[in-house]
Amino acid sequence: MTNIAAAVRKHVPILLVAALALAGPAQAQKPGGSITVGQELDIPGFDPLKVGVYDTSTFTAAAAIFDTLTTLDDKGEAAPKLAVSWTHSDDYKSWTFKLRQGVKFHDGTPFNAQAVKENFDRQKDPANKCRCAFYITNVREVLAPDEYTLVYNLTDPSVNWPAVITIQSQNNAVHSPTAWKTKGDDYNRNPVGTGPYILKSWTAGDRMVLEKNPNYWDKGRPYLDRIVLKPLPDAQSRFASLQSGEADIIWDDENDADNIMKAQKDPKLTVHTYKGSGAQVYAFNTKVAPFDDVRVRQALVMAIDRPKMSQAISNGLSRPATNPYGDGSWVKCKDDGALPFDVEKAKALIKDYGKPVEFKMLVTATPRGRMIGQVLQQFWKRVGANMEIEQVDQATIPSRAFTRQFQLTPWRIVDLADPDPQMYANFRSGSPLALSGFSNPDLDKLLDHARVTADLGQRTEDYCAISRLINKEAIWFWTFQNTYYALSSAKLKGFPKIYNGVIDVSNTWLE
Amino acid sequence: MATLELSVQDEMVSTPVRGRRKLGLLFWLASGWVAIILSLAILAPLLPLQNPVDMDMLERRAPFSTEHWLGTDGLGRDELARLIFGARVSLTVGLIAPMIGLVVGGALGLLAGYFRGRFETLVVGSMDVLLAFPPLIFALAVTAYLGQSIPNLTLILGVLGIPAFMRVARAATLTLARREFVIAAEALGASHARILLRELLPNVLLPLLAFFLLGVAVTIVVEGALSFLGLGVPPPMASWGSMIGEGRESLDVAPRLAFLPAAALFVTVLAFNLVGDTLRALTDPRQGAL
Amino acid sequence: MLNFVVRRLLAILPVLLAVSLLTFLIASLLPGDLAFVILGDQATPENVAALRRDMGLDQPLWWRYLSWLGHVLQGDLGRSFRTGQTVLQAVAERIPVSLQLMLMAEFIGLVIGVPVAIACAARAGGAFDRFMTGSAFAMLSMPSFLTAILLIYLFAVELHWLPATGYVPFTEEPLANLRFFVLPALTLALAEWPGIMRVLRSDMIATLQEDYIALAKAKGLKPSRILFVHALKPSSLTLVTVTGINIGRLLGGTLIVESIFALPGIGRLLVGAIYTRDLVILQGVVLLVACGFVIVNFIVDMLYAVLDPRIRHGHA
Repeated sequence: MTNIAAAVRKHVPILLVAALALAGPAQAQKPGGSITVGQELDIPGFDPLKVGVYDTSTFTAAAAIFDTLTTLDDKGEAAPKLAVSWTHSDDYKSWTFKLRQGVKFHDGTPFNAQAVKENFDRQKDPANKCRCAFYITNVREVLAPDEYTLVYNLTDPSVNWPAVITIQSQNNAVHSPTAWKTKGDDYNRNPVGTGPYILKSWTAGDRMVLEKNPNYWDKGRPYLDRIVLKPLPDAQSRFASLQSGEADIIWDDENDADNIMKAQKDPKLTVHTYKGSGAQVYAFNTKVAPFDDVRVRQALVMAIDRPKMSQAISNGLSRPATNPYGDGSWVKCKDDGALPFDVEKAKALIKDYGKPVEFKMLVTATPRGRMIGQVLQQFWKRVGANMEIEQVDQATIPSRAFTRQFQLTPWRIVDLADPDPQMYANFRSGSPLALSGFSNPDLDKLLDHARVTADLGQRTEDYCAISRLINKEAIWFWTFQNTYYALSSAKLKGFPKIYNGVIDVSNTWLE
Repeated sequence: MATLELSVQDEMVSTPVRGRRKLGLLFWLASGWVAIILSLAILAPLLPLQNPVDMDMLERRAPFSTEHWLGTDGLGRDELARLIFGARVSLTVGLIAPMIGLVVGGALGLLAGYFRGRFETLVVGSMDVLLAFPPLIFALAVTAYLGQSIPNLTLILGVLGIPAFMRVARAATLTLARREFVIAAEALGASHARILLRELLPNVLLPLLAFFLLGVAVTIVVEGALSFLGLGVPPPMASWGSMIGEGRESLDVAPRLAFLPAAALFVTVLAFNLVGDTLRALTDPRQGAL
Repeated sequence: MLNFVVRRLLAILPVLLAVSLLTFLIASLLPGDLAFVILGDQATPENVAALRRDMGLDQPLWWRYLSWLGHVLQGDLGRSFRTGQTVLQAVAERIPVSLQLMLMAEFIGLVIGVPVAIACAARAGGAFDRFMTGSAFAMLSMPSFLTAILLIYLFAVELHWLPATGYVPFTEEPLANLRFFVLPALTLALAEWPGIMRVLRSDMIATLQEDYIALAKAKGLKPSRILFVHALKPSSLTLVTVTGINIGRLLGGTLIVESIFALPGIGRLLVGAIYTRDLVILQGVVLLVACGFVIVNFIVDMLYAVLDPRIRHGHA
């Protein structure tokens, strides 16, 4: 059935640093109680047409309110959720799912193939101009041949489809069609799904209260009576509320290294770590000077001392990246073509270039953005390049990037089950996301080939060749791999791996 | 920003009639501090300081030592050098921005107070519009539009200071315009320009200059607040406000990183306020101290 | 008096109009095309053009201003493109936080300021008076972000008495709510009391020099009675005015304190709107705040006029 998908997922090494006490299935789940989750951001809403893309905080809420067709088990393999089984065509371009029967949305609407299809059609409809449509361009159509059968027809083969659609994203969460039709503009803040929790109350900027769904299809679940989600944007106060017991689990990242290290020493706390695929990345605009010259790009990449940078920004927690896939991906390269750290070589390249190297780099107007910007600035100054920091807020970066109004911009390759969607979008010439404006027939050929190939070894070969090509041309560079963190009270059990960077508390219980 | 309104309150407060002629020890201490900070800021590039932007990434948050007298900051940069170069930024913005307010606001206030009528209504009305705006939102939006740089920052803070200077100049002019020497000049047929420049301006200038020093204090505070929020000076440049903001990140590990620039900011602002307030009391036309 | 009120009301209309124009301009001039922000990854040239047409962004600026103003005058401030909330919904959700903060700050400010002012005025020039006047002066040099950091360091980081940041609604957990509000309210109050104290003190010193106070003294009334009944009462109207001015200012001015203490009030709403380019919210909220400020000022002016009849007839 899904042998290849399973094989793919098996290769994902998952490491839980301090979460050794994490509950195995043998442990008794205790029902009842309530937990508070400290999140990074204030959730804007759930209607894909309104919010376009879910952020990390929305994922957590979506994982509780909605269900997806499939989920990832603790081995990283696609497992049934709203779909009970699936098959694929020989060319992997058509996937057929058998859906679970007798499931109802919170508002009583029955769940069936038609409901999933309507969700998809609404996002895909050009008249709706949904930002979310970008992420389903590879899905040609969704069909509902009978009430509990659903067919995805894809434009290109996807060997990994059931795993790809496990993330609780704007595209995969199944909403109640009745709800969005009757609530209109208000649906965004009154979401209705089939998930284990029902939205009870929500005050923007303050808290969202989710109550147990008594009619959840998976009998015996969920365990907790109530989940409270609170936006706590300040890392210090988020950690303080975990310490004081006001929060039971909090989102965190490695920039909060001081607190993560404190939590590791605290027996009352548990640190959950997931080394995902992807990386923090940066794109040069190769259409403008000085980055139209490969020597300058190479020099800047060679000037970066990643281990030292990791010390400076995260007490050494950040894991240096030499390719866009990372240790968390199934793509393993013997040679990814990474340029070495070499100050002398970098100086020589800049000297060879002859003209003064001066440019602006976009950074987010956050303490973390400024810190990273200043560290890179320092490295580049040492090899004779002058970088000026241009602070912009998060919302401006996509528009600056899409209109190519930048010289150097930060970007992100997130943890996904398959590298294809992001690599194709970021590097295939002509893609709106190919920020470098670099076009190379060999690169295009490799991307196309990797996309339509089913054989894992072949695809790995392709992706490694892609990495070598990008590293050699230095059109993008990668600083650190993605590591996802959640800190929780040691009493919280049943917390799964942070797949896709999603903190999913919908299946946890308190000891 | 609370402090922008300081002027309005001060206008209402009639300072006690005490120690008017004696400047007092505090005044001289404050002037001394201002002089020291000013000369440090001006001489910063000549002093044997370490480079304020050079990082030693393996020596982060180092304690006091002979190499780094005041230790290093969160990215391993010399704290003492950053404090002194920070003074440069804070004082540059702090001195130039109120000059914009002084010149534009002073002129508007003088003209409004002298000519009265429609012109006065218009000036006072437009100042009301400027005052009705949440000042930090104004600053945020304009920095987002113009981009972050010291000249832009100075310009914004200067514009925000215009209403306060306008009020001081107008109040002083209103009082003076009724005084004998002005009425006498009018009776003698002096032109408006002559009365404004020869009779009024020299007398309005004194309270304005005293108020200027208070304006410096307020501007340093607002610059600090903007930089604290990360909207002031562009990195890697340091200003006291941005240093406090960065130090806040490690308040429990190395509180000195926030408290050293905080102390420098507080003492300097206090010193400017003290000097300004003393001079203002001396030059207030309502007290007949001309 | 009625004539005066009408005159002043007519005078604030152009101010309100100018405020609305400035608000609109600032919001429109923010970089980052709204169409790009909304469309994100979908920002193909055709989509952007279509969306700009739908939203009327292709119209000239003056036309967009007039149509926005028209909607505002009908009470429609618009809807956030991000959350789908109307401006009024968003404000209604946030305003209890800002109001509570403002009231608590003003209350603590008065609790500190008034007794100190009375004690100072009673013995003007004495050691206590000199010390408190000096302290008040020093506090005026203390920016709120400094006070906030000191308080957080002392009460949250070192002593662990109070939470550094956070919020729960008063209706859910009153006690926890108050605990969250102590530090931010104290931060603002520490900036408020010097003003209150200085105004009240000098006002009372002036009152204490009036003839009728001398008369009361001559009649042998108790000094405490003179202080509280005869001197404080006339000064309390000034106090009301000062409090009014403070409140007008705090309407949009608690941004820094709200950011540092993570309180979901109006200030945070505005900053969030700037960061996410939520122009509808930004325009609407700034307009409301600015109008609130103008109206509070108007009321304060009226209070002045009631207090001091000279203003009604002289220049205002």
